[in-house]
Amino acid sequence: MSIHQVVAPANQDDSSLRALPQRVYRALFRSPAIPRTELDRSQSVSANFFFHIHSAKVQERTLKFRTTMGLGLLSLFTFAILVVTGVLLMFYYVPAPEQAYQRMLDLRGAVVFGGFLRALHRWSAHAMVALVLLHLCRVFLTGAHKAPREFNWVIGVFLLLITLFLSFTGYLLPWDQLAYWAITVGTSIASYAPVVGQQIRFMLLGDDAVGREALLRFYVLHVAVLPGLLTTLVGVHFWRIRKDGGLARPRLPPPEVFVPGTKPVAQSPDAPAHDRFPLKPGKTYGLMCLVPARSPNTETEQEKTVQSWPAALSRELLLFLLLLAALCLVAIYFHAPLEEPANPLHPPNPAKAPWYFLGLQEMVSYSAFWGGIGIPGLLVLLALVAPFLERKKGGEGVWMDHSRAAANWTFLILMGVLGFLTLIGSVFRGENWALMVPW
Amino acid sequence: MTTTTHHPGAIESPERRHFFGWLTGGALAVYAASTAALSFLFLRPRVTYGPPTRVPIGKPEAFASGNQVVFPEAKLVVRRQDSRFAAISTVCTHLGCIVNPSDTGFDCPCHGSTYDDRGQVTGGPAPRGLAWYRIVQLPNGELVVDKHDVVEADTFLELRA
Repeated sequence: MSIHQVVAPANQDDSSLRALPQRVYRALFRSPAIPRTELDRSQSVSANFFFHIHSAKVQERTLKFRTTMGLGLLSLFTFAILVVTGVLLMFYYVPAPEQAYQRMLDLRGAVVFGGFLRALHRWSAHAMVALVLLHLCRVFLTGAHKAPREFNWVIGVFLLLITLFLSFTGYLLPWDQLAYWAITVGTSIASYAPVVGQQIRFMLLGDDAVGREALLRFYVLHVAVLPGLLTTLVGVHFWRIRKDGGLARPRLPPPEVFVPGTKPVAQSPDAPAHDRFPLKPGKTYGLMCLVPARSPNTETEQEKTVQSWPAALSRELLLFLLLLAALCLVAIYFHAPLEEPANPLHPPNPAKAPWYFLGLQEMVSYSAFWGGIGIPGLLVLLALVAPFLERKKGGEGVWMDHSRAAANWTFLILMGVLGFLTLIGSVFRGENWALMVPW
Repeated sequence: MTTTTHHPGAIESPERRHFFGWLTGGALAVYAASTAALSFLFLRPRVTYGPPTRVPIGKPEAFASGNQVVFPEAKLVVRRQDSRFAAISTVCTHLGCIVNPSDTGFDCPCHGSTYDDRGQVTGGPAPRGLAWYRIVQLPNGELVVDKHDVVEADTFLELRA
């Protein structure tokens, strides 16, 4: 099949009724269903709204499992599953204290696949938090947050925060004991913020305590505001990957360069990659060679690339199907937890937040301000400025590169401490938050 | 900044352009800021639907001296010592859990804060003691706790016999 089948040859009578199906197909798709030539394969990516997130060709090493472990895409796929299951659940949910809990019971007992969808939504939410965290670790440990990708890292940090907030707002909706008290504790933490803390809590809850207003507000945040924000930022996040020159990869030795209008000069290794142009280009460059502006981060030697169709897309489909299958299995065999109906008079003992907040809760048990606001705030701030602090070049796209040992170990120790606190909070804390041995 | 346009009649005035540029930007910024402020006012409730903060607790005769009665819905306990009455909050000052009365005072189940009999912190992360509320007596003799009126610890309402 060739391009001529896409653009009809002149001698064919295009107005005949027999040609109608083909014309309809061509009106919808600009490339053949099964592309066989390199050009068709490029077109099926670049002319498709959903696929053109990819370039027509991708770096071969991008597709290697160890490069990214697919964590960013898995996060996106989990979000997609959450949107679909979440929208379906919305058809049966009522954000009111008298009804919310009953609706949970109805989902389990009176709605076909209701319990399954709720479980899939719940476990996917946990999976998304975990995957986004792991993605953050991958990016840092491969130095992929460094210039010129600093801004995309900053967006990523905000995506993590939105993911956590999405999870937090979703937590209240079942209106069971866990929901009620996790949100009571969580919003009280917010009230420790200096000066504006009480105001933030009041605005979040719409009242002095968790109640009708809080449920409605959290519902709106959970189903409209935060998913919208997340979708927008995810779009920017993916767009920036390409604008920043694709995934971070190890630097090649500096080549001889050609600056238009000058004699070839030896290039210092410190010059940013986008300032370097090869003396004998392995590929042709467009206008970006001629204008004195920041251009996409192109490599200086012939890149080892493969076509996105089918190399990247087939792997992504496989990744999605594996993820969906795994989450479905979990959802089939494990019900979504549901405790007693919310009782504002009696907190459960111990009252625990979801696992990803238990490190926070553990710190909060020592000091509400430092544990809930001070230390988390400093950590987020540190994350936001990390790519700007780490100015020395090198180590991009390499796991645990020696030149970045200090940064990597600082990161690992911080994550280790957080993991340790989470473990203490989840397993070793019993009644009255006293230390206990679980076995 | 240099202007390179040379249309006949065009006024070459970079300052003027600058001025109108800033004016436009400033107007848009004011517009955005006022929209944000109005949204904030909109989202900040003026009426809340939670439980009332003035809680009628009944006649003084209903309480036995030396006893402590828990009002779970109002999240407080009422004490009577002879003719003196006091109301103490059962909302933990740490993160808002409900404390349980215990032999030593009050214990919080969430993060292990402990309070003595007067509501003063004896352990755990709680930053301050439990709140004491003012109690007033209505003309018909009924007692009312005003949860918006936090008083110092050991403030009792003294009733004349």
